[in-house]
Amino acid sequence: MDATPTAAADNNVGVVKGPAASFGLAAAVAILFNTALAWVEDAYQPLNAYMTSLTGDPWRTHGFADAAVLFVLGYLFVGRVSISGTRLSVLLAAACIVGGGGLVLWFALT
Amino acid sequence: MSDIILLAHPAFGVLGILASVWVFVEALNASEANASRVRIAAFAVAGCIILAWAFGGYWFANFYPPEKAIILKGPWPWAHTFVMETKERLVYIPLILALYLPLAAAANVARNRGARAVVMTVAAFIALNGLAIEGAGAIVNYGVKVAFVHAGVEGAE
Repeated sequence: MDATPTAAADNNVGVVKGPAASFGLAAAVAILFNTALAWVEDAYQPLNAYMTSLTGDPWRTHGFADAAVLFVLGYLFVGRVSISGTRLSVLLAAACIVGGGGLVLWFALT
Repeated sequence: MSDIILLAHPAFGVLGILASVWVFVEALNASEANASRVRIAAFAVAGCIILAWAFGGYWFANFYPPEKAIILKGPWPWAHTFVMETKERLVYIPLILALYLPLAAAANVARNRGARAVVMTVAAFIALNGLAIEGAGAIVNYGVKVAFVHAGVEGAE
């Protein structure tokens, strides 16, 4: 009788654990990394040329780099992150707004 | 062939947007009864967005350069310099979110309010980003059209 309400209470607190938390945090970082890489790649041509030399297209290399950040960080965070679902939601929303807005502003101004 | 790839790109994008709305609604009404539907819908989002990205990426790398040259010579060069340059990086945001969504949906969204909030947030941002990207694609397409009209190409209007 004790175990069930405790488990339910744990579930109801709204804490996200495991891969949902670790890869959620990694996704927020990857979104911001995506924008930062776009800025640097666009401003610094040698990096753009280097990224082109890796896969034949800087856009393709950019995608592989984003995926690497998501999966490597997500894997590294597994078991180490426990975060409130509300906080993770705000973090992901903020990353989308800052990341997306950063891209729009950058290419509007340059 | 390039037309099929070009049309498959926004088609899978729209299907991904619709699937993310499906995830949002299922999570909003989360219960033990629809737990499996939330997960299936999350995988549908991931599949559609990955296919949209793959078709778009293939077309972008292999067929876009001539259209880019046409846009840059037309009256709407910003359709490439601003819209396409932004779109080609912005597209990674819904892709990252779509890859993450099945992991977020694997949690018990019926019992865990936090997990439900995360799933709904991710689904909402995939839909919003997807709509912005669909709109950007239409502007890029129109950039080519106005360049042809401006050059007096017969039938372009």
